[in-house]
Amino acid sequence: MQSNRTGYAFISPWLLGFLIFTVFPFVASIYLSFCRYDIISPPAWVGTANYEELLAKDPRLWKALWNTLYYASVAVPLGIVAAFALALLLNLDVKGMSVYRTIFFLPNIVPAVATSIVFVWILNPQIGLVNGLLRHIGVEGPAWLNDTKWAMRSLIMMSLWGVGGSVIIYLAGLKDIPASLYEAAVVDGAGTWDRVRHVTIPMMTPVIFFNLIMGIIGAFQYFTQAFIMTAGGPEDSTLFYALYLFYRAWRYLDMGYASAMAWVLFVVVTTVTAVVFRTHRKWVHYGG
Amino acid sequence: MNENPLTRLSPAQRILTHAVLLLLAIPFLLPLAWMISTSLKGDAQIFPREGSSVSPVSLANLIPSPVQFENYPAALKTVPFAVYLQNTLLLCLLNVIGAVGSSAVVAYGFARIRFKGREVLFVLLLATMALPGQVTMIPTFALYTKLGWYGSFLPLIVPAFFGAPFFIFLMRQFFMTLPEELAEAARIEGASEWDIFWRIILPLSKPVLATCALFQFLGTWNDFFTPLLYLNDPSRYTLAYGLQQFMSSYGGKYAQLMAAATMFTAPIIILFFLAQKTFIQGIATTGTKG
Amino acid sequence: MAGEYSATVSSRGLDQAPPSSGLRRLVVVLLNLLLVGSLVLFFALPGPQERSYPQREPVRFWHMWSGEWKDVVDGIAAEFNKSQDKYEVIALSVPGASADYKFLLAVAGGDPPDCMAQWNQVIPAWADQGMLVPLDTLMSPAEWQDFQASAYPVALKIGCYKGHLYGVTTGINIWGCYYNPAHLRDAGLDPDNFPTDLDEVWAWGQKLNRYDENGNLTRMGFLPGWCQMYVPVFGGSFYDPGADQVTIYTPANLHALTWLADKHKELGYDKVVRFQSMLNTGGFSTEWPFISGQYSITVDGQWRVEQLAKYAPDLKYRTAPIPPPKGGKPLAGWSNGNFMIIPKGARHVAGAWEFIKFWSGVENPERAAKFYTRGGWLPLSPKIARAPVYQEYLRKYPQFKTFLDVLPSENIQTSAPVPYQVFLGDMIGRADDFAMRGTLAPAQALKDLERNVAQEIERRRRFGL
Repeated sequence: MQSNRTGYAFISPWLLGFLIFTVFPFVASIYLSFCRYDIISPPAWVGTANYEELLAKDPRLWKALWNTLYYASVAVPLGIVAAFALALLLNLDVKGMSVYRTIFFLPNIVPAVATSIVFVWILNPQIGLVNGLLRHIGVEGPAWLNDTKWAMRSLIMMSLWGVGGSVIIYLAGLKDIPASLYEAAVVDGAGTWDRVRHVTIPMMTPVIFFNLIMGIIGAFQYFTQAFIMTAGGPEDSTLFYALYLFYRAWRYLDMGYASAMAWVLFVVVTTVTAVVFRTHRKWVHYGG
Repeated sequence: MNENPLTRLSPAQRILTHAVLLLLAIPFLLPLAWMISTSLKGDAQIFPREGSSVSPVSLANLIPSPVQFENYPAALKTVPFAVYLQNTLLLCLLNVIGAVGSSAVVAYGFARIRFKGREVLFVLLLATMALPGQVTMIPTFALYTKLGWYGSFLPLIVPAFFGAPFFIFLMRQFFMTLPEELAEAARIEGASEWDIFWRIILPLSKPVLATCALFQFLGTWNDFFTPLLYLNDPSRYTLAYGLQQFMSSYGGKYAQLMAAATMFTAPIIILFFLAQKTFIQGIATTGTKG
Repeated sequence: MAGEYSATVSSRGLDQAPPSSGLRRLVVVLLNLLLVGSLVLFFALPGPQERSYPQREPVRFWHMWSGEWKDVVDGIAAEFNKSQDKYEVIALSVPGASADYKFLLAVAGGDPPDCMAQWNQVIPAWADQGMLVPLDTLMSPAEWQDFQASAYPVALKIGCYKGHLYGVTTGINIWGCYYNPAHLRDAGLDPDNFPTDLDEVWAWGQKLNRYDENGNLTRMGFLPGWCQMYVPVFGGSFYDPGADQVTIYTPANLHALTWLADKHKELGYDKVVRFQSMLNTGGFSTEWPFISGQYSITVDGQWRVEQLAKYAPDLKYRTAPIPPPKGGKPLAGWSNGNFMIIPKGARHVAGAWEFIKFWSGVENPERAAKFYTRGGWLPLSPKIARAPVYQEYLRKYPQFKTFLDVLPSENIQTSAPVPYQVFLGDMIGRADDFAMRGTLAPAQALKDLERNVAQEIERRRRFGL
C-alpha cells in the first residue's frame, strides 16, 4: 500500500512526539558536548576540547569501551540463544506450562534488591551455591564478583537471569507460526530438528532480529547491575562505558564531557546497528 | 488444543521436559523464595549470630521458623499504601493505554504502508534509543519545566501517548509477518487502511499487544525515578517510590523491606500469570491463520 | 479529494473506497486520544499541597533519611514548626541513591529546595561554583566568631571552603576500633589492656585469626585496610592546608599504604579477597561481620553503637580509638558527615537558616542535644556534648564515648577541600584497591594516582574550571 498521506497520518503520533520531546534534548546534548558544563553553572563553549580529551587523553574511557564491547559480543548472542531455546521449551505442550513461564519471568519482576542479594550469595566464593557445587566435583571456584578476571563473566552469567523478557517476545512469535507450515513439514517427513531449522527459525527471524538490535542497543548502555553489584571494580574490570559516563556526568559534574562520550557511543551503536540492519534483508524473512 | 506438531510429546518426553524445566527453574525461583522467606522472619532470624557461619542467604536458612506475619502490617503502616497504590494504578493504566495504543498505530504505518522517507524515519526511530538517557535528562527536565509541568503528573503520562520506539519496533516486526492477502481482500471490499488496521491486524496481534502492555505496565509499576524527579508532593508518589524508601533506610528492617517487596511484587506475578494464560495461550486456540 | 483518489485506483484493485474516510477515522481516533489525554491532564495538574500552617512562609527541606530516621527528622521539623510562628518546614525524604539527580536537576531547572541535608563531599564542588549560600554571611560578626570558637575543628574543616562556611553539620562520623572481649579472652589476650600501638593490634589480630580445613579464613582477627582512614594515623595526609595543595606521593602516605599492603600480603591477597567477598551479602548495611563474630577487632563508625543496641543487644563489645604506629599520630583518622546547606536560588533563605540553627544547636545547644541523641549523632560543638541529655546518652551507651573523645582531635582529617574532591576520593580508593590486591606495588599505585590527579588538575586548568 503506497500512500504518503496515510503513512504520515499513521506515524504522526511518534513524529509529533519526536519533534516535541526528543529533538530539543538531543540537540541540546550535542551543544553541551562542545561545552564545559558542570550542571550547576551555565554551560561555556570550549569547541572540540571534550572530544580531543576523550580521544587522546583518557585511557579509562578506552578500557570502558573495550569492556562494553566484550560484554556485548558475549552477552548478546548468549542471551539470544538461551532465550530462544527456553522459549522453545516453554512452547511445548505439557501440564503446568503457565507456571513455568511465570517462574522464568520472575527475575524481571522481583525487585532488584532481592535479586542482587541472592545473586551475590550464589556467587559467594566460600558459602555460595556455585562454588559449593564445584567443590563436589573437586574444583575450587574463583571469587567471582570480587575477582578481577571473573567479575565480568559473573555479570554476563547474571544477564542470563533476565532472559524472561525476550522469552515472552519469542513465545508471542512462536504462537504466530501457522500450524499448516508444520503439518506440511511433517508430510514431507521432517524430524523435530528439521522442523525447528526449516520452519521455526526462519519464521522467527523477524523476532530474532528485533531481539538482536535491542540486545545490542541495551548492551552498549548496560549500567544498572554493574552499578549495584561491582561499581566498576575490581580494578576497573567491570567499568562499563555507561557507568563511566554516569560517573563523569553526575559524580564529577562534568556533563559536557559526558555528553561528548554519549555522542561517541551513539556513533558506535548506530554504526553497529546499521551494519546489522544492512544484513537483515539476507536472513530475516517476513512471511507476509 | 494446540495442533502444532512440534508440541506433541510422548510420555517419556513429557517427563524429560518437566525434569529439565524444574532444574532450570531453581535459580529463577531463588530470589522470590528468599524474598518471601525473609519477609516471614524476625530480624533475629535473618542475621546469623555469633558462632554460626550460616549466611543470611542460604538454602539452610530458607525456611523461616517461627513464621511470623507481623512484618506485613508493619510495612503497610510505614507508607501511605492506599494513596501510593491509587497513584500507581492511575499511571499504569494511562501509560499502558497511551503507549500501546499510539505505538500500534505508528507501527502499522511503518510496517504496512509504503511512504516516502519511511526507511530514513525508521532508522531515526531506532537511533533515538541509542543515546544514553543520562545526557538528555537535563534538557528534558528543562523542557518539562518550561512547559510548566514540573510538580505535576504530566511528564509521567503525556510522553507515553506519542509512541514508544521499543514497542513500535516490536509491533512492526509482528505486523510485517502477517499475510498481505488478508489486507488485500479487505481492500477489495472497500476497507480503508484504518479498517484494516483496526479490524484485521489488531485482532490478529493480541500476543504482541499483550506483551507490550505487560512491559509497559511493569515499566510504570517499577519506575520510582521519574516520579521522584518531577514530583515534590509525597502524596503523589507511587508504590515503587515507597519501596525505595524502605531500601535506603539506614536502619535494617530487612524483614519489613522484603514484606513490602513481596506485596509490591505479588500483583505483578498474578497479572503476568493471568495475562500469559489469556493471551499467549489463547491465540493458538483461536487459530491465527493458516 | 476522494474523486482524485478513486481516479488513481491501481490495477491491483486496491483502494476501492476513498481512503480519506479511513484517514478521517484515524484522525478522529487520534483526536479522541488527545481528548482523553487532556481530560486526564486536567485531573493530573498539580493540586495545592496540604499544609499544616498555610499562612506561614514555607521552607522546603530535602533529606536522605528514611525509615525510623525519617521519623526523627519529621519530629525535629514538627518541633521547629511549633517553636515559632513565621516558617513552616516541609520535609521531603529523597531516596539516597537518587538524591543527587533530583537536587541537581532542581537547581538546573531553577527551583531548588530551601534547605538540604547532604553528604559533605558536595560542599567544595558546589561552593566553588557559587551554588551554595555562604552561611557566615547570615550571621553577625560576633555570631560568626562565636561559631568558629565553639564548633569542633572537624566541623569547620568540612563545612568551610575558602574561608566561608557553607555547611553546618548535624552528624559527624568518627571511626574507632570495635573489639570482642570474649574472642580476646579465648586467645589469652587481656581486653582490659587494649594495645596502644597499631603493630601490637596487628599482632593480636594474628592470634585471633581462625581458619577452616581448607586454609580459608573463617574469622578475621584484625584486617587493616582503607588508606583514607590510615594515612592520617601514620602522620600522612592527602592535603596540605598551608599550600592549599593535594599531596600524594609523600613518605608518610607511602609508609601507610605499604604497611597496609604488607598486611594483606602476609595474610595472602587471595585469602583476604575470599574472606571479604564472603562477608559481602549484597546490600545488608546492618549485616555486620562483627555481629556474627567474623571480626574480632575491626575499625568502624560510631553509628554501629546504635545499630548494635538495636540488632544485637546481647553482644558484649568495647571500643577504642585507632592506636597509632610508632611515629604515627594519636586520635587520628578520617571523617565525613551530614551537613545542612542552603542552595543559591532558594526562596526562603532566612527560614532555612532558622531551621539549621534550630536543629544543629547553633542557637540553643541544650535543646538541640536531644535531637542528636535521637539519631545517635555526634554533635556540632562541645556545648551540646555537655548538655545533660547528651551526658545521659553517654551513660546509656558507654562505648559511644570513645568517638566523642576522638572528635575534638586536631589529627582528624577530612577530604581535601578541592572542587574535584569526589574524583580524588574515587581515585584514592582505586589506588588502594590495586595495592591491596597486590596488582601494583604501593609506590607504583601512589605514583599512578599522582599522575591521574595531576592530569585532572591540568584538564580543569585547560577548561578554565
